[in-house]
Amino acid sequence: MDYSKPIDAALFPEGCQRCSLTRFMAWMGILGIILLWGLYAAVRVLGFGLGETGMDDYFGFGLWITFDLAVIALGAGAFFTGLLRYILNIDELKNIVNLAAVIGFLCYTGAMLILVLDIGQPIRCWFGYWYPNVHSMLTEVIFCITCYCIVLIIEYVPLALENRQLAKSRFISALAHNFHLLMPLFAGIGAFLSTFHQGSLGGMYGVLFGRPYLYRDGFFIWPWTFFLFILSAISAGPMFTVLVCSIMEKMSGRRLVTWEVKQLMGKIGATMLLVYTVFKLADTWFWAVDLLPREGLTFDQMFYGWIYGKWLMWAELLCIILPVIFLLKKSTRENPKIFYTMLVLTCVSITLNRYLLTVQALAIPVMPFDAWRTYAPNWAEWGACALVMAYAAMVLSLSYRYLPMFPQEVKLNEGK
Amino acid sequence: MNRRGFLKFAAGGTVGLVASPIIWNTLYDAVYWTQNWGWIPRIPRGDSTYIPTISKLCPSGTGIRVRLVDGQPVRALSDPGNPLSRGALTALAAVETQLMVSPARLKDPLRRTPDGALVAISWEEAETLLKEKLAEAKGSTACISGDPTSTINELLSSLVESRGSADFYFMPDDEQAALTAWDAMGGLGRLGYDVDNSDFILAIGANMLESWGTVARNRKSFSAKRPAGQDARMKFAYAGPVQNNTAAGADWWLPCRDGMEMELALGIAHLLIKTGHAVPSAGFDDFKAIVAEYTPEKVAELTGVDAARLTEVTRALAQAEKPLVLVGSSLGAGGGAGAVMAGIAVNMLLGRVGKEGGLVNLPFPSPVVAGASDYRAVRKRNLVAWSQSVASGEIKAPRVLLLYEANPLYALPFNSGMEEVFAKSGFKIAMASFLSESCAKCDLVLPAAMGLERFDDCYTPYGSGEVSWCISHPLVKPFYNSRPMGEVLIALAKELDVEVGVKDMPELLYKKAYSLGADFRKMVETGAVFQKKAGGAFSVPVYNAEAIKVALTLKKETTPLNLVPVVVLGMGTAQTGIPPFATKIIMEYQLAGHYSVAQMNAATADRLGVRKGSRVTVRRGEVKIPALVDIFEGVLPDAVALSAGLGHTAFDQFSRNKGSNIMTLTSITREPGTGLPVWSSAGVSVDKV
Amino acid sequence: MSEVIDFKIRWGMVIDLDKCTGCGACMVACQAENNLAPQVDASNKLRALNWLTVYRLSNGKPFPEHEVAYLPRPCMQCGKPSCVSVCPVVATDKREEGGIVSQIPPRCIGCRYCMASCPYHARYFNWYDPKWPGDLDRTLTPDVSTRPRGVVEKCSFCHHRWMHAKDAAILKGEDPMDLPDGAYVTACAEACPNGAITFGDLNNPKHKVHELKQSPHAFRLLERLGTDPQVYYMSKREWIRRQGDNYLEHEATGDNKKV
Repeated sequence: MDYSKPIDAALFPEGCQRCSLTRFMAWMGILGIILLWGLYAAVRVLGFGLGETGMDDYFGFGLWITFDLAVIALGAGAFFTGLLRYILNIDELKNIVNLAAVIGFLCYTGAMLILVLDIGQPIRCWFGYWYPNVHSMLTEVIFCITCYCIVLIIEYVPLALENRQLAKSRFISALAHNFHLLMPLFAGIGAFLSTFHQGSLGGMYGVLFGRPYLYRDGFFIWPWTFFLFILSAISAGPMFTVLVCSIMEKMSGRRLVTWEVKQLMGKIGATMLLVYTVFKLADTWFWAVDLLPREGLTFDQMFYGWIYGKWLMWAELLCIILPVIFLLKKSTRENPKIFYTMLVLTCVSITLNRYLLTVQALAIPVMPFDAWRTYAPNWAEWGACALVMAYAAMVLSLSYRYLPMFPQEVKLNEGK
Repeated sequence: MNRRGFLKFAAGGTVGLVASPIIWNTLYDAVYWTQNWGWIPRIPRGDSTYIPTISKLCPSGTGIRVRLVDGQPVRALSDPGNPLSRGALTALAAVETQLMVSPARLKDPLRRTPDGALVAISWEEAETLLKEKLAEAKGSTACISGDPTSTINELLSSLVESRGSADFYFMPDDEQAALTAWDAMGGLGRLGYDVDNSDFILAIGANMLESWGTVARNRKSFSAKRPAGQDARMKFAYAGPVQNNTAAGADWWLPCRDGMEMELALGIAHLLIKTGHAVPSAGFDDFKAIVAEYTPEKVAELTGVDAARLTEVTRALAQAEKPLVLVGSSLGAGGGAGAVMAGIAVNMLLGRVGKEGGLVNLPFPSPVVAGASDYRAVRKRNLVAWSQSVASGEIKAPRVLLLYEANPLYALPFNSGMEEVFAKSGFKIAMASFLSESCAKCDLVLPAAMGLERFDDCYTPYGSGEVSWCISHPLVKPFYNSRPMGEVLIALAKELDVEVGVKDMPELLYKKAYSLGADFRKMVETGAVFQKKAGGAFSVPVYNAEAIKVALTLKKETTPLNLVPVVVLGMGTAQTGIPPFATKIIMEYQLAGHYSVAQMNAATADRLGVRKGSRVTVRRGEVKIPALVDIFEGVLPDAVALSAGLGHTAFDQFSRNKGSNIMTLTSITREPGTGLPVWSSAGVSVDKV
Repeated sequence: MSEVIDFKIRWGMVIDLDKCTGCGACMVACQAENNLAPQVDASNKLRALNWLTVYRLSNGKPFPEHEVAYLPRPCMQCGKPSCVSVCPVVATDKREEGGIVSQIPPRCIGCRYCMASCPYHARYFNWYDPKWPGDLDRTLTPDVSTRPRGVVEKCSFCHHRWMHAKDAAILKGEDPMDLPDGAYVTACAEACPNGAITFGDLNNPKHKVHELKQSPHAFRLLERLGTDPQVYYMSKREWIRRQGDNYLEHEATGDNKKV
């Protein structure tokens, strides 16, 4: 036994260094505490009811739905990178596709976890399959998300099986191999399912004709809202993957992916973001000058005070316009500070977009005699989100420590 | 393992699991579990029966049709067959069945132990104690009744009289002032209002579509004469300090400061006389001289009512065929007789006394219980005058104080002296259905059977335009360990050797029916109601200018801010507390969490430097109540509106910890001339916290 | 989008806002009739479970020009309900003759998508299990099942009363699909002491609502969103009618009907 290495070194990916087990356990301990807090919130919600949250009859959707939509958008790196890598054969992306798949897996399973808390009758969650309403966008979302979640599990399993010790077993090795061979197929299925449910998520809001902030008609409901959501997801997804990768590099002190791969991801994301921005601006314009007046409403009536003020919408738009400019221009993209800032701004804008569609839309009084209401998530909602984030951080930490996620890691850290 | 082997394994496992019943049975069972968790109550099965009766909780005895399922009353529905309320229901009568099983319901007789707690005792102990205490209390017994429409009052008064005492009182209400005024103006009986047949009603201070008088009947009348989609056959104006529920139904709202009803009525009289509307009667010239100075401009200054609007309403009133002017107080008690006198005078000017759709004279009921004081005599006594005298030591406190369905500790102003009466009285007995604030301070509490569990009646509630008599009879056995108080009182009388002349409640009601000429049996069997038109000659009232002049000298307190009470019947009465379902009808502008809401208009709020949601204290003298500000333009300037019926400290979880009791902000003064204790105007200040 | 069905019978209400004084009798009757649990603290109106809510309307003018009105808001039973098409599990539907939008609590999974879709806030969620403190559960009626936590519920126009009315008609040998006016009324309409709520078949000329809904003073809430409600309101006051829908400054009240 090599005493210069951590005691669990035999489990590490071939040729990779990791911190000591004590340090790792301390980190996991911190995450564990957050996890327990979130678990307490979850237990209260499941045990007593959703009254434990800050939601109410005006805000039936709140932080959780915002969180779900945001992580589903940010997790879109998985299907999009997979699509580019396996179907369109952009080979460089193999260096980051594992991470994208893991992030996707974590985002989707995390979203599912929150959904279990968020629906009032979790024991009836299978009704969506058993008694589907084919007219409901949500039915489509339920089908696609659960199916895609299975796909992501299937994508994650072979990676897990590649652990150095597990791979020694002939059965497991054969199993992993079989999965690998099927990967292009799953990438294809994943892309198909994701595209649909991302689109349906947009449609879910676009069809709500009782909500002036959300409703779109004619061309702007189909295909517009669908593509808005897909585009926003596939632009933010790759960027989020790069951000996570860079955070992991900072925390581990090791280089995991080359700058070129990150730049490529950023460029792909920015290209998508450009299309999204054009569509989004057109959509906003149409909504403000055509749709709202037809409903007897004005743009100003959609905003209130600072909590639901216009600044939110301006911020949302600014945070996509700036990244488009700075990421598509080679010179600025290559500046790491600007590069990372722009990635963050994009993710902020997409998250803000999901928040506005969820919360602002419900805050607006539609009946003229009704009043603006405000919503603030309470500790139980934050706790449940923290639970998911702690869970994701734990799985990601374990995956990084024990699984060969980054093909370039050994080479990039030679001589360290 | 090769690929084929793996696929076989996976497929076989899946098929096996799907083919087994494990998944499917569990899923289907899940549907039932989630609908039928054991802790969620099941709904009853059984046949429904519907029985017409009346709500004894609703102060005017609204007719209801009770739905029983398997013998259990579950719903109080409207009763179109009731000739008085004709299918109108109040928000309070609608919860009669829920109140029967509400957590505040008294279940057992309670006795105060030396350490101050109330503990359950048996009925035998309770009755022995009751007899003992009343036997000892010869010459010093007082009784307060909170239900002036019930003939049980005669049993109570007979018992009190038998103790050699005359201290039998009703809780204060608007009839007290009305009777005093009617008396002063030469009326002989009770003052009645023929709301049903009027085509123009001006309600001054009287919250007639929400709580005043025969409210269900008033509202049915309002409804019938203003059918949806058709022209109104009755016009309606309301003068009061706030756009309350009554104002919401009115064609005109005259924003009049609380307590200034008399000045407003005189202003109307001024305009009527000026425009030649004056039906003369004795004392007219003196009256004319008094109202001469009540020009619209002066009235506007005094009451806050805009001169033009007053003129407009007065003109409409004068042009109506059958106008009727009602005067009441916003709390339903504590108003002065002067205001009612002025109101009667306006009706007299319009020639509306003793006419169809006008003011009518109703006969006093004659007692059927031996030894009972008559209604008029009881009405002449004033509870607050007595309690203040006891408090000041002028009169000795009674050895026994008996409360019947009354909650004076909650319902009276802070300086009514009632707390001192409680402190000084020897032994306090409460007969009630709910654990009220007053019950909580008694030494013996007897759980009373409710209207649907007992024989009782409702005789011509104040505000009626005719003599009416309804009875309630037991539809079910008394719940818990409660008993019908009528029977308890008759048994007590027998024990004390007091001759009341009846052996049980049915006999008492039968005697009452006989005296009225009603068919008791039919009333019990079919829910029929006895009605008799007011009528017969009576002396034409006089303009008692002297009394009006003296009453006008009452000092009103409307500054710095006029306190405006808002009464909503659905929020319960002092006897019921807030009914279980009512928490949802109490609006955000009435109660916010544990705070009362102080409504004021924006100009007033600006002046006070407060905004919507500001924490404030509403203060009068030493008394302070916390509140949150809400802006409502339907409140007079320099006035603050607060909901009545909040701030209970007893009853149950539906009543407690909800706002503050505004009665603590009111205070009693005496009306010059009549000597009537009044508390219809209060000046408060609002301070930012 | 689900298809819109043409029903032979369309149960509906016409609520005369000039007659409503906001006493709350309708809300109380509704709770008792439909087995809604009482709430100890209902001061947070966004958590108070009420199938029918009374809103206070203001003409927006300062004292003394201020006017007040009350607007009872049941479920609108929309002709084109925004809630039905969005429900992923068909827990709510508009399929039955009569046009009442159903809500089936045992089917509901509590996703609240329908609540997000309804601009009238007619849908309520069971944030906790319902509680009837003490013996209050003894007053449950046999007509409407109690609901557990985690499901959405809403006004059903007292659907069980329609069932009873049909049964009664059949027993009398009458046509259950041609009930006389008043044979079936909701608990709120029955309880209203001011007669503000008129209930009946909007399609049936023998029913009062058929005539009332054609009044020039009649309007529906948020008509221009295209929900086609089966609840009408009426008021002689223009400011009230104007609050029935969203209007741009230059638009006249009632213009929405053309859209």
